[in-house]
Order: sequence, then structure tokens, then C-alpha cells
Amino acid sequence: MSHSSSKREMSARARWQAWLPKLVLAPSLALVLFFVYGFILWTSYISFSASDMLPNYTWVGTHQWSRLWGSWTWGIALHNIWVFSLLYIVSCTLLGLLLAILLDQRIRAEGLLRTIYLYPMALSFIVTGTAWQWFLNPGLGLEKTMHELGWTSFSFDWLINADMAIYTVVIAAVWQATGFVMAMFLAGLRGIDGEMIKAAQIDGAPVWKIYLRIIIPQLRPVFLSAVVVLAHLAIKSFDLIVAMTGGGPGNATTVPATFMYSYAFSRNEMGIAAASAVFMLAVIAALIVPYLYSELRGPRS
Amino acid sequence: MTESRLTNTLLTLLTYAVAIVMFFPILWMFLTAFKTEQTAFDIVPHFLFTPTLDSFKLALAQGNGYWHYAFNSALSAVASTLIGLVLAVPAAYAMAFFPSKRTDFTLVWMVSTKFIPAVGVLIPVFMVYKSLGLLDNIWGLTMLFTAMNLPLIVWMVYSYFKDIPKDIIEAADIDGAGTLQTMVKVVLPLALPGLASTGLLALILAWNESFWSLTMTDHKAATLAVFIASFKSAEGLFWAKMSAASVLTVTPIIILGWFAQRQMVRGLTFGAVK
Repeated sequence: MSHSSSKREMSARARWQAWLPKLVLAPSLALVLFFVYGFILWTSYISFSASDMLPNYTWVGTHQWSRLWGSWTWGIALHNIWVFSLLYIVSCTLLGLLLAILLDQRIRAEGLLRTIYLYPMALSFIVTGTAWQWFLNPGLGLEKTMHELGWTSFSFDWLINADMAIYTVVIAAVWQATGFVMAMFLAGLRGIDGEMIKAAQIDGAPVWKIYLRIIIPQLRPVFLSAVVVLAHLAIKSFDLIVAMTGGGPGNATTVPATFMYSYAFSRNEMGIAAASAVFMLAVIAALIVPYLYSELRGPRS
Repeated sequence: MTESRLTNTLLTLLTYAVAIVMFFPILWMFLTAFKTEQTAFDIVPHFLFTPTLDSFKLALAQGNGYWHYAFNSALSAVASTLIGLVLAVPAAYAMAFFPSKRTDFTLVWMVSTKFIPAVGVLIPVFMVYKSLGLLDNIWGLTMLFTAMNLPLIVWMVYSYFKDIPKDIIEAADIDGAGTLQTMVKVVLPLALPGLASTGLLALILAWNESFWSLTMTDHKAATLAVFIASFKSAEGLFWAKMSAASVLTVTPIIILGWFAQRQMVRGLTFGAVK
């Protein structure tokens, strides 16, 4: 009698033990799935609806999508993000690698330097972007300083020059992320097996050759991570543009994120805004999903 | 030997030069903050000047609202971090110590949300918040920060739990400790440094957050990000004062960032770099 009741108790406990993990996981999972994937489906639906200033769920097929692709501003946004991403990813990766190699030479106060290189990434870009905006503003910062120091022909008006403004955004963005990429490469460099390097040194191989032939090829996984992280940061970039140029002058620095924001809130074109958001999501998904699968599942299976 | 020492000195100098260039925009902001409005605009901007706290006094003066925005930033950052940890610790515990066939899958999808651009969910969030009256509401904003940081917190706490040797858990189990007891008395104390640094990272990310603050708040629940972003429109007029407010905004992060640098790299690359 007592034996069977304790057995029943045990099975109740066992059932409880089996359910408990699922139960405690549920709130987080529900929150994330609802807020993110639920809302993405909703956004997708809106992109096929007649929504303008207010949501209107009349199905209009690909009407909003063809309006998006017909939009001159969207063309500019796509061109800008392409130029921006390319320059940003290439510059950050090369500079980050170079800095990591520099810092790997048993430099004094390496810890302090590493932290200083990382700070731009840790600080809010709304703040540092505003500082950059002051610094690059012809009336306030660099140009004014040079003029007052006597170099009156000095001119640096990229921030307000429609052809060049996007490059000022690139400069500030590269400044922000380079230290972070450096930290990734430095960790990679520290993980490299020293045996092969020693062997090459004994053979009398020059330093640059050791880097080019032995060390850099071994950093391939870091290159992959850096490019994926940088690419998604580039596509997401919003605060950077808001703080520095607000998308201007004119539409010169409009990118998909600021395009989406202005079509949703100031131009009352919710359908087009949703379509542009879905397009950005698709690009990021194509980039991220394969990477995450290999990164998080690979080592265990 | 001397040649390699010379190379080393040159390399050291180069790294220092790079550090100065990297830190220059921040330094520029700090220097401006310690000037008066007049000297900030002086002919020949000098690096040698008498520092003054005038601009800080002006920035902190009543009526500027600095304290209002700072309070909102602090409240939303601290609350979202605490709520995030409370939700994430049991979830991560379940995944780390009671893994099922779908744990990997769940984890991948959770982490994937960190990569999703906020614009992808902006319209629905805005509509839901509007109908619930959560626009310009500090708890509404806190909830968004929580949802934004939760995947990262879950993933980081999970990875710290994974580092704890299974033997310790089994030993506690044999000693007759229940799940809750094992978690509170054995696992959490061991994972405490990891939990603390995860919390620190979440705190920094929430404090720095600007997208949701700019889109979901107006004035009542606005954070420092909104305050600083509003400076652009008044550019140049109160340069020193704005720099002082910016300095006050980044100083907590400069201090916290010193302790959280490792977690930042680890968190932002999802463990690709430990």
C-alpha cells in the first residue's frame, strides 16, 4: 500500500521533473517567438495589404512590392547600403587584422590599448555619432580648426556634400567597429598552434611570409565570423545615419533602415515600408541562417 | 638584437598612435565639455585651456531635463536586465541540464533573433503599443529592451552553465538535493561571475539602445539617446553644454565597459570568440 503510493508519488515527481524544464523555458521562448517571428509574419502580411497611413488588411497582392521597386528613393537606399557595406566590411576586416597583428607583438600595456580600441563599440553610437557630426561639420570641427590655424585653403565638407556624405558615414562606422574586429582576430591569433610557426622560423622564413602562408590561412573561421557579424550590422545600421546625417543631404545617405522608418512614420506608406522591411529580413536570413546552423550545431554533431 | 628592439619600439609607438586616433573623437567631446561656450568657439582651438565645470552645471540645470532622461535610461536598463535574468536563468538551466532533442534547434532560433533588424517588427510593435497605450511608456520600453536582450542573455547564461562540470550536479543529486536546491545552492554560486558579466553586458546594451527609444517614446519615457539625438537640430549653439551632457551619458559606460569588454566580444559574436 505504502509502496504503491510512494511509487505513484515518484511517477508524479518524475512527470513534474519532465515538465518543469519545458515550463520554465516557455516564457522566454513565447516572448521571443511572439515578439519576433509572430511580428515578422504580421509585417509580411502588411506588405501585401493596402495599408497606408493606417493598417488596412485588404489584400492587394504584390502592389506594394512593385511600388517599392519603382521607388527612386529605394534605389538610392539600395545603392548606398551596397557601397556602405562593401567599404565597411573590407576596411574593418583589413584594419582589424592589421591592428590585431600589431598588438600581438608583445606590446607594452596591451590590455589598455585593447580596451581603448574596443571603446568605440561599447559607447552609444547616438553619442559618438553626434561627436563625429560636430567634428566633420565644416562650420564647427576639423575644417574650422584648420582655417584658424592658418591653412585657409583646407576644405573638408564631405558631411554636407551629397556625393561624399556616405563616405563620412563609412569613416565613422569603420572607426566604431574596427577595434571589435581586432579583438576577434587577436583571440584567433592567440589560439594558433605555435609549432608550425617555430618550424618556419627555424627554416629562416621571413616574418611576412609566415603571416601570409601560415597564420592568416588559419584565421579563416575568424574571417567568416567577422564578415557575417559586420554584414548584419551594416544592414541594420540606423542610429549611425540618424546621428550623423539623418539620411541627408537630400537622400544622399538614405539606407534601407532609414527608408523604412520614414515611409512608415512620415510618408504614411505603411505597405511600402513593410515590403522594404521584409526585403531586409530576407537578405539577413540568407546570410545568418546557414552561418548559425554551422556555428551552433556544427561542433556538437 | 638591437634591431629587433628598435622594431619593437617602433611598433609600440605605432599602436599608441592608433590608440590616440581611435580615442580622438571621444577625447574631443570630453575636452569641449570642460570649456565654456565662448572658448569652445575660440579662434585657434587650444588643447591647453583652463578646464571649467560651467558646461556641466548648465547641462545639469533644472529645465534641461537631463535628470529626467537619465532616470528613464537607468530605470529601463536596470529593470530590463533584471527581468531578463529572471526569465533567462531557468530557461538556460533547463536547456543546459535537461537537454531535449530540440534544445539545439530552440537555441538556434532564439539566437537568430539577435540578428534581426528592428525595422522588421517595427510596424506591428507600434500598432500593438498604440492600442495598448504603451507608447511613450517607460514599462513598454522596458519590455522591448527585455525582449531585445533576452536571447543574448539566455544564450550567454546557457554557455556559462555548460562550463560547469556535470559531476558536481550529479554529486548534489546523489546527496538528495532537489532540482531547485541544486540550482540555487550549487549551480548559481558557481555561475555567479558569468551571470554578473552577462547582466553587465545587457545593462550596457540597454543603456546604449536608440532605435526603440527614438521610435516608441516622445518625452515622458524618453531616454538619454532621445535627448542626445535632439541636439542635432540645435547644432552648434550650445556646443559645450551638449558635449557635457554627452560626456555624462557615456561616462557610466566607459567605466562599466572596462569590466565588460570580454563579454562584449563574446556576446556580439555568439561565442565565435571566447
